[in-house]
Amino acid sequence: MGGMVFGPGALIAVGLYLVSMIGVGWIARTRRRSNSMADFYLAGRSMGLLVLFLTLYATQYSGNTLFGYTGTAYRIGFGWTASVLFMFSVIVGYMLFAPRLVTLARKEGFITPGDYITHRFRSSVLTLLSTILMIYALGNYALAQLKAMGAAVEGITDGAVPGSYGIIGLAVIMVIYETLGGMRSVAWTDMMQGGVLLLGFGILVFIIPQKLGGGLGHVVAQLSEMDPSKVQAPSLEGANKWISYVLLLGCGAAIYPQAIQRLYASRSVAVLKRSLTLMAFMPLTTTLVALVCGLTAVVVLPDLNLTKAESDQVLARLCALVMGESALGYWLVVAIFAAVLAALMSTADSALLSISSMFTKDIYLPYFRPQATEAELTKVGKICSWVIVAVLVAVAIGTDATLVRLLELKFEVLIQVVPCFFLGLYWKRLSARTALAGMVCGLAVALGLTFGGKPMIWGFHAGVIGLVVNAAVCAIGACCKPATSD
Amino acid sequence: MNDSQEQLVSEPRKVGYVWIVYLLLYAVAVPWYWPEGYRGPLVLGFPLWVAVSLGAVLLLAAWTAFVIRRYWINAEEEE
Repeated sequence: MGGMVFGPGALIAVGLYLVSMIGVGWIARTRRRSNSMADFYLAGRSMGLLVLFLTLYATQYSGNTLFGYTGTAYRIGFGWTASVLFMFSVIVGYMLFAPRLVTLARKEGFITPGDYITHRFRSSVLTLLSTILMIYALGNYALAQLKAMGAAVEGITDGAVPGSYGIIGLAVIMVIYETLGGMRSVAWTDMMQGGVLLLGFGILVFIIPQKLGGGLGHVVAQLSEMDPSKVQAPSLEGANKWISYVLLLGCGAAIYPQAIQRLYASRSVAVLKRSLTLMAFMPLTTTLVALVCGLTAVVVLPDLNLTKAESDQVLARLCALVMGESALGYWLVVAIFAAVLAALMSTADSALLSISSMFTKDIYLPYFRPQATEAELTKVGKICSWVIVAVLVAVAIGTDATLVRLLELKFEVLIQVVPCFFLGLYWKRLSARTALAGMVCGLAVALGLTFGGKPMIWGFHAGVIGLVVNAAVCAIGACCKPATSD
Repeated sequence: MNDSQEQLVSEPRKVGYVWIVYLLLYAVAVPWYWPEGYRGPLVLGFPLWVAVSLGAVLLLAAWTAFVIRRYWINAEEEE
């Protein structure tokens, strides 16, 4: 973490913050209304505006927003303004399918995204493949958060606590509060974490460009002299990359299973609409701050190596500079670090709960125990959470890759489920067989290009090219062979 | 699907001009039309082309807020 080492007082404060999460989980457990899957995985469909908005926010903005995005801004400069646009585009993605999906979900009592696919297509193969793709993508995402947790703990203790211990410790805290109260405790801890995250970004925008960089205007003037390419408009291929990111995130992040389950969990449609309205403005208070911090780092820390792993450390290095300046700076950085942990844990716990629900409802129930009661399924889901955490922790400790790379691989896969939602909800002629063929073709193209050494063509991600093929197969199939039933 | 359509009084997806406005704002937000290597004067500390993109994102967010309020209407809310 770039020389950012905390003293005993700060470590105790961070420790108390973490332990309080378990307290929140315990309170959430006492508020449960029944031992049903809807209560455990969707908080009884009772989320109000504040909880829903902050859980959506904390889930969507991950540790990658803080570390990966500041690092990318450090490497490529203002070209990363694309991140503000593509994070906004997730809300446009919701506009394309959420109104109808939410109405249907409230009527049919959906718990998982797989419930919708089963209801719409009546195909166990399509539901199973979609579920596996979503679990793979989410597992990858949670893995990235766990690895970042390890790096963060190792950094603030100056290596006294190895990263692997940090991963295990934080994962255990996470799975305890999740098992205690399911979505209710995850959403409530997300509410705390989302609040801390907003505070953290507020502090960042106040201190980093002003205090370290001498103001944004000064930073840009310096950048123009040091490396003009970082302040200049991109080439046409660069603009294509913006469009590709908009499609990748606008479609992919909108169908995150944990995000879809939050749509299901709102108390009312009115509450959901207000939450999404607020979310539309959040890139300007979050991703834009990460961009400005990354650019300030170019001026303040010009000598960092430009590898991804090294540049992902720029935020920590900036914080180390602020810490050294005054006692106030020190405690502000403690608050920022709490925000970092909040971002990592809130994203990981949501992914974990979602994986657990999909495995239980879409795999265990139909394939292993069709007669299982709701209470049994909830119990299996809790056990499943512990097993998933154990597997992910083992993988996180034993592998090495950077955050952004993992993020990209996740979307290449997840985005192939998009036509089932975006087209399936509106196009009755789209049959299960056609949707499945499209998904398989899209996946083959996306993975073939990625592993064939062409992750991008003319600025477009392999996953987006796969999605175009996927949608084309769906369109041709639906036009040639109308579905016999809806 | 028919039941859900009955409960959904209005949805943004079916309003053509909503998407035309989105398309226009996206066309402004993506910096494809600036000469390669252009920076321009600073606006609120940002290079002109970045300020234009960020302004478009702000308009996109405001447009989305309007669209959600005006064109996403469920029967449950009307009751």
